[in-house]
Amino acid sequence: MDVNKKIDELLIANKELTFQSGEKEKRAAELVIANKEVVFQNEEKEKRAAELIVANKELAFQNEEKEKRAAELLIANEELEKAKIHIAELNIGLEQKIVERTAQLEAVNKELESFSYSVSHDLRAPLRAINGFTQVLIEDYLDKLDDEGKAVMDEIIVNSKKMGQLIDNLLEFSHIGKLNVSLVDVAIGELLDAVIADLKPQEPDRKIKITLNELQNVKGDQNMLKQVFINLISNAFKYTGKKKEAVIEIGSYRENNWCTYYVKDNGAGFDMKYYDKLFGVFQRLHSTNEFEGTGVGLAIIHRISVSTVEKYGLKARSMRAPVFIFHCRHNQYVHQSI
Amino acid sequence: MFPTDVDILLVEDNKSDAMLTIRALKKNNLANNLVHLIDGAQALDFIFGKGEYEGRNIGNKPKVIFLDLKMPKVSGLEVLQVIKNDERTKLIPVVMMTSSKEEKDIVESHQLGVNSYVVKPVENETLSKIVAELGFYWLQVNNTPK
Repeated sequence: MDVNKKIDELLIANKELTFQSGEKEKRAAELVIANKEVVFQNEEKEKRAAELIVANKELAFQNEEKEKRAAELLIANEELEKAKIHIAELNIGLEQKIVERTAQLEAVNKELESFSYSVSHDLRAPLRAINGFTQVLIEDYLDKLDDEGKAVMDEIIVNSKKMGQLIDNLLEFSHIGKLNVSLVDVAIGELLDAVIADLKPQEPDRKIKITLNELQNVKGDQNMLKQVFINLISNAFKYTGKKKEAVIEIGSYRENNWCTYYVKDNGAGFDMKYYDKLFGVFQRLHSTNEFEGTGVGLAIIHRISVSTVEKYGLKARSMRAPVFIFHCRHNQYVHQSI
Repeated sequence: MFPTDVDILLVEDNKSDAMLTIRALKKNNLANNLVHLIDGAQALDFIFGKGEYEGRNIGNKPKVIFLDLKMPKVSGLEVLQVIKNDERTKLIPVVMMTSSKEEKDIVESHQLGVNSYVVKPVENETLSKIVAELGFYWLQVNNTPK
């Protein structure tokens, strides 16, 4: 009985043992897996650590670069500051120079003004005396002069008159540069009508045909534009003086922002060889015997041109048919430079 | 001692201009009572009875003063200014006679109260005519307060 009991107990114990060893094996297997996991995780950690080291190195490198850059920037900034100071100094110098130059220019201008004033006053006075006393001789002592003496008196009178004309023209020329330019819309057609109405009666005995073609209006200085046309048209009158009929054509055309005005005539023309001389003061391409004049008209146009009209010139198809032209900016009529 | 009736007081430093002006006036019988002075300082002495004209009765006013603009010492403009700023003399007609066509001079003269501004031309024929017309106008046509 007892034996049987014991056997039963042993059997049970055996089963228990078997079960327990099964459990142990399971646990062992589980442990093996867990171990493997740990090994894997360790490996991963080592990899991460290696990566972190690399990243750290990179960071350190970048930091160094940044510091280098910062140092470079500092230097660049310092240089910029220095350059700024230098520029400021230069500016001050420039301003001083401009002030000095302006003062110089003003002084020269004043001198010129007083010069032209002196010309106006002091040159005329002796001339008036020469002319006046010659006139006195003619009036009071004519009977004591022979024909040659009388002819000499006449020459003195003519020349003193001419000298007076030269002085007047020279003054006119010097005044042009002093004029203030005021820009308005100029109706060129009306302006030309007025100019022609003024000029034509001065040639009552001549046959003069003036054709006005299309005329563009322009923004400009009324007086200066008028002066340019007066000079060009009276030149046209003058140099057609030997023609039976003077034919003068005035017109304009527009190209982009430019208006070009032209004055042509069928007059004497001139040799293009001397084109350069045409616009100089007191330069003439005809003798006084051929055509009267002092050589200031076109010089005045030149003076006006550099101050307001921008461009001027002459297109000559041949020396027989000169066409004087000048251009004006159509809208923004700016620019004053001498 | 001093002339009592002065028609024209000519103030002109340029001898030639003065001769030609006086000649033109004489030809037209306008220079009978003319006094010619040669600069602005002398003109002021005469007009205000000072200096070499000390004692002159300044009530004897010229009918007109022909005044050159540019003169040594005291200029025509200065003389004009003094005359026109003095109650005793401001009514004397003053004609500025000059070679200067300068706008500046013309404006300034008128601002100072000039009665006429005449530019002397180079041509004597014209000058004589202008001078004669001026003499005729200021002595015979124009009326000034007594």
